[in-house]
Amino acid sequence: MALRELKVCLLGDTGVGKSSIVCRFVEDSFDPNLNPTIGASFMTKTVQYQNELHKFLIWDTAGQERFRALAPMYYRGSAAAIIVYDITKEESFQTLKNWVKELRQHGPPNIVVAIAGNKCDLSDAREVPEKDAKDFADSIHAIFVETSAKHAININEVFVEISKRIPVADAAVGTSVKGFKLGRQASESRRTCC
Amino acid sequence: MDPLDGFGSPGREAAAADSRSAWSRFSSWLECVCVVTFDLELGQAIELVYPQDVKLTEKEKTSICYLSFPDSYSGCLGDTQFTFRLRQSVGRQGFKDDVYNRDAPVTLQRETAHFFGYVYFRQVKDVSIKRGYFQKSLVLVSRLPFTHLFHSMLQIIAPEFFEKLEPFLEAVCNEIDQWPPPSPGQTLNLPIVGTVLQIRIPSKSDKPGGSPVRQMTKENLLPAPTLLPTLHELDLFRCFQLVLIHLQMLWELALLGEPLVIMAPSPTVCSETVLALISAISPLKFCCDFRPYFTIHDCEFREYTTRTQAPPNVVLGVTNPFFIKAFQNWPHIVRLGEIKMAGDLPKQVKVKKLSKLKTLDTKPGIYTAYKPFLHKDKILIKRLLKGIQRKRPSEAQSAILRRHLLELTQSFIIPLERYMASLMPLQRSVTPWKTPPQVRPFSQEEFLSTLDHTGPQLTSMLRGDWMGLYRKFFRSPNFDGWYRQRHREMTQKLESLHLETICDADLLGWTKDKSEVEIVDLILKLREKLVRARRQHLQVKDGVLDKLDAFISSIVGSLPEDLQSVLNAR
Repeated sequence: MALRELKVCLLGDTGVGKSSIVCRFVEDSFDPNLNPTIGASFMTKTVQYQNELHKFLIWDTAGQERFRALAPMYYRGSAAAIIVYDITKEESFQTLKNWVKELRQHGPPNIVVAIAGNKCDLSDAREVPEKDAKDFADSIHAIFVETSAKHAININEVFVEISKRIPVADAAVGTSVKGFKLGRQASESRRTCC
Repeated sequence: MDPLDGFGSPGREAAAADSRSAWSRFSSWLECVCVVTFDLELGQAIELVYPQDVKLTEKEKTSICYLSFPDSYSGCLGDTQFTFRLRQSVGRQGFKDDVYNRDAPVTLQRETAHFFGYVYFRQVKDVSIKRGYFQKSLVLVSRLPFTHLFHSMLQIIAPEFFEKLEPFLEAVCNEIDQWPPPSPGQTLNLPIVGTVLQIRIPSKSDKPGGSPVRQMTKENLLPAPTLLPTLHELDLFRCFQLVLIHLQMLWELALLGEPLVIMAPSPTVCSETVLALISAISPLKFCCDFRPYFTIHDCEFREYTTRTQAPPNVVLGVTNPFFIKAFQNWPHIVRLGEIKMAGDLPKQVKVKKLSKLKTLDTKPGIYTAYKPFLHKDKILIKRLLKGIQRKRPSEAQSAILRRHLLELTQSFIIPLERYMASLMPLQRSVTPWKTPPQVRPFSQEEFLSTLDHTGPQLTSMLRGDWMGLYRKFFRSPNFDGWYRQRHREMTQKLESLHLETICDADLLGWTKDKSEVEIVDLILKLREKLVRARRQHLQVKDGVLDKLDAFISSIVGSLPEDLQSVLNAR
């Protein structure tokens, strides 16, 4: 089975839950008191997608304004970007639009964009209607999901959707790795919204 | 799932456990990162140190300031990279964990009394600055001799830093703090601002002569990690291209730890040449002091240029022509000039008499009265020169050079290793009831008498006075360092064997008819041995230490209660 490494970066306002999403995806855990990320954290996770292994090289960037200028180093060469906003903070949705603009102007030409409206467990405090976000995502052909890192909602799905949109690898190259056997099936647990 | 997946490898819990605030992972790679700038009033000054709580003494700071800028800036417009090495202030704590040093090849061990400084200096015209120039250095300070890794890193981070400033440095340091610790023998992925550097740290048990990074499944990786083929190796051919025909002499000077000055037009050339010389005797460790880049501001300047005593066993790289005067009493000075081509070939410097050393306008050459013990390898030189004509790539030329130097050093060292091994006591002389036997003393004459049958002529074609070379080597710090290292390893081996035989012995049976005093004595001695074994990370068979621990507690348990409480209180 062929192994592909996919660089993925997470972008978005500070406090929207980028690190929590990654933490849920990689370790299936949640810590409500994560410290703000400095610079970026790097993590990897390999999942099976059809007859390929996708190893996500995840760059979880800092949302704080003072690190804003560093973002190009992380989205440079990325196969996908997950832009995260907080459904309870209208402002974070506006920041997201700026990220989309920046990626369109300076990002890699074929980058897959996924929009994640995080904290969907807090729908009582919702400020961003799901439909608005969905319409916006459709208008830019981006993946859209509402997620909850806390309750593990739609986290794996974001990455599955990314895998689906990654262009198929060259068939000739894809089968060239000989004798490579999978020890275990990649974990893929489905969770549904409550 | 990939077992290496997760937050860096191996595992984030370990990182969380050893207090993130202490920068413990960062400091296993780097001591700190410094930004040195030119201040109109202060001259060179440290603008920023990261992590902020890192402790550098004033003396260390001053040295870093001076060593981070080229001696004369005029010749260095644009970006310049070079390496320096400075002495740590007295009283600084050594690095606590020596597991790395135990498993790494001796030539890659962590420095205990020095720091390396890896410098990226930028000088560009800038009318907005009073001085008319932007002049700044980004310096990685580390105990690790990973020249290639750190300079590759600087190429990635320094240009970005000069634009993005402090937050960028903060990000870089935090990312380094997520790196796995440097573990010999393992392939490591080091994430750094959006790219991943993949390296393999050689291990002591590797076969010397190359540390190829294992090629991973390279097919269709979208952003492939940047594979660094080496951590520390330099482009030997580039470093030695002006002195190729004198390679034999330079190897001997390095082997013997002779006082040597390399004077070059730039800090890049002098520091790379010094480091190349040091590495030329690998796998032997160069045990003398060396300063790839040395300036007159250096704290050791007076110490090293005093005329009241013989020059010290030091290799210095310098750029300031003033040093010709300061080092007039030194026995070997290599003056490198700009590369001049004579037809296809870089023009080789000549050996000249020391009396020809003139102040300031001294011509390129090797100023020495030294006569090599061994003849030069003309076939090698021909091969390299032919390689230049045929435009063989520099890496291939370097590989030829490296192989030659390795074989030469090994031919020299194998007879010593063989003799040293013969000094090891027989295993059957290790018994549980006696202190372990000692390694027999090294006798130079006895060793030299073995050369007739098992000398370097078995593995090397080079002719010459090998005997004379060994005699001179015995008086050098490099022999001393090698001997101490081997002796320590053998003593520790004996200690491990001793612990293992004790473990297999019937200790409880022995205690049956012994007095309390003798039993207590046994317990104390055993405890001491265990403490030492753990401190030295002694390699013993699995379970030996635990079994002895259990044994000690069971004997203690068999003693009267008052004695038990005394023994347990200790």
